[in-house]
Amino acid sequence: MPEPQDDYILTVDTIHTFIGQFHILEGVSLKVRRGSITVLLGRNGAGKTTTLKSILGLTPPRQGQILFDGQELQGRRAFDIANLGIGYVPEHRAIFRNLSVMENLRLAERKKGDLNRKADLIFGLFPDLKRLYKLPGNHLSGGQQQMLAVARALVADNRLLLIDEPSEGLAPVLIEQMMTAIRQLSATTTVLLVEQNFIMASQLGQAYYIIDDGKTVHEGAMAELLQDQALIHRYLGATIGRQGA
Amino acid sequence: MQNNSFKQFWAERGTLVVVFGLLLILSGVGWLTMGREPFVRTALSGLTLGALYFMVAAGLTLIFGLMDVLNFAHGTMFMVGAYMGWQFFTNPTFLFGLAPLILALLTGLLTGTPLRPTVMAWSVPERWQKPLRTALAVVALVVGVVALNGLDFIGLADTALVATMVAANPLAEATPQEPLARFWLRPALLLVAGLLLAVAQAGPGDKTQMVHRSTARRGWIVVAVLAVLTVVAVFVREAAPIAVLHMNADWRFVLALLTGTLIGAGLGAVVELTLIRPLYVRPFYQVLVTLGLAYVLRELIMLFWKPLAYQMSRPPLFSQPGKAANLLAWFSGHNTTVDILGVTFPSYRLFIIVLGVVMLIALGILMNYSRLGMIIRAGVQDREMVEALGINVRRVFTIVFVLGAGLAALGGIGAAPFIPVQPAMGDAFQLQGFITVVIGGMGSYSGAAIGALLLGLARAFGDYLALKFQLSPAIAEASTVIIMAIVLLLRPAGLMGKKE
Repeated sequence: MPEPQDDYILTVDTIHTFIGQFHILEGVSLKVRRGSITVLLGRNGAGKTTTLKSILGLTPPRQGQILFDGQELQGRRAFDIANLGIGYVPEHRAIFRNLSVMENLRLAERKKGDLNRKADLIFGLFPDLKRLYKLPGNHLSGGQQQMLAVARALVADNRLLLIDEPSEGLAPVLIEQMMTAIRQLSATTTVLLVEQNFIMASQLGQAYYIIDDGKTVHEGAMAELLQDQALIHRYLGATIGRQGA
Repeated sequence: MQNNSFKQFWAERGTLVVVFGLLLILSGVGWLTMGREPFVRTALSGLTLGALYFMVAAGLTLIFGLMDVLNFAHGTMFMVGAYMGWQFFTNPTFLFGLAPLILALLTGLLTGTPLRPTVMAWSVPERWQKPLRTALAVVALVVGVVALNGLDFIGLADTALVATMVAANPLAEATPQEPLARFWLRPALLLVAGLLLAVAQAGPGDKTQMVHRSTARRGWIVVAVLAVLTVVAVFVREAAPIAVLHMNADWRFVLALLTGTLIGAGLGAVVELTLIRPLYVRPFYQVLVTLGLAYVLRELIMLFWKPLAYQMSRPPLFSQPGKAANLLAWFSGHNTTVDILGVTFPSYRLFIIVLGVVMLIALGILMNYSRLGMIIRAGVQDREMVEALGINVRRVFTIVFVLGAGLAALGGIGAAPFIPVQPAMGDAFQLQGFITVVIGGMGSYSGAAIGALLLGLARAFGDYLALKFQLSPAIAEASTVIIMAIVLLLRPAGLMGKKE
């Protein structure tokens, strides 16, 4: 690596993203510290998922700058960005239903033997997947699909994982398992997490960003956010309300 | 658990079981009511047609399933394959005469990729960039026209026609090849034209583009290989056709199959890279472009070979007089016809069935056991996620388009010895190909196989019934559409399509 070891692995600087004619992101900025878990918070439709997709180049931003490990990401195609070492766990899992669990994982290999090298890590985190190895993706339950989606992002050597709503639609036991897994992951890699489940987000995240109406409106350390009930209520009211139910 | 696994089996393979069950019952009824001889003959004809439908439909379904491109030029690939294979088999002077020119132009054009970083770094003021690009393109066009000026395309194209008449020494009658001393300027100029276009395309002084150094080196290797091929093509231009015509006709036929397929695939690559790829943001334009391309290519073919129909002769392997008593006897006798279950059937058509089955198996292996197949199956479902895993989906698009075009072209040249080679020969196959794809389910190659089988049989038995009951032959054509309607009513996503 010729670049100096920067504190931040990812720097997003006032990006503007359009989907069709809609101006979805109107200036999102954030920084992700190496080896940390950073959480993106905000209401539904605030632009959290689009932020992740913009970083990965799936919805390329029209303005602004994104730096990943010192490299500019603008103008690069998504596959190229992913190959720099970014893993993506999309919302709704997006596993390949007509491929077996093994094929889903094999597809994520960037070098021959990636899967063999990571097998211990993956099956250590998600022992269930070993049992389901030969089954096609559409035979998996929601929780198993989510595990596969996370596992898929671990096959290649990724320095940053973009994880979008891993708790969505999962039973409490599985949420617990998923949290443990993500926490273990953060020992070796950096995680940028989008999470509606505030309890999960607050327990995992070290730093947080709140996105509202396509803009970053607040940032800081998670510990501070937990003190600021007014702020939580103002931007995340709906989230906490749902949590109480 | 037992019950559960049965349910699962039924959910996945139920349609297949029903379709094959129905086919079996219908076969039984057919055998009993029609009698053995007409039944077997009609069934074999149906399989022959089905094999050809499959080779067209497999590409269509993958191209649509993966790329959302409705390729209306797919039947044209079939037709072009047939023409090129026929040319090669009858008299390859035309192909060898044009090869140096096309290769030279390609060599020039492909310098674009490795040259890009250099060209972009030129210091051209921004307001001169666009005029410069236009000027380069115009100069390239002029050079190209000069390069081709006076070239006797029609004379070259006519060689195969003459060869058909003067069987003894086809080249004695028509050698429209120019002497090398005059000819060499043409590929040289085309190389320059391609180079100019490549520079214009690379965007001189335009520093806003992204460059990948790694692709530059590979680009030069491709250019070097093509340059060598061009030089070889320039020198073997006159000798090669004679050598080809002197070789064993069976091997020449095999080479014709390969050449037709390769030209079809190459055409597919050019079409995808130049016409389809820039238009992914405007899918509707892609449809129009393929439609327009179909017309342009057909007119071009008519310009060279007139709006006439030609018959390619069968290779000697399938044309010894007499009838083989059974398949084994054919292997030593190479007869025109074979006795199968007491039915006299043309041996070449059996070859088409075998070709179709071999392609089906090859495609099955590719789709199920290779990484490329895995990527295609995943991409049919969710391209974005495939891209997000770090896979260059655009490149896979090109590969699939090339594969599809090559397969269609192979079907065309395979069909050439028993259906007339003419400019509209691909149209019917394209239409049936689309119906096959709808029946089988978009994006499913196994669906394409089943659909092609159904359509081929329906067509053959429809023809038989129409003849027997003195009905209009339109009945047979309608039968395929009727099958499509029934399938769509029962399974809107097609037989093997995914329920969404």
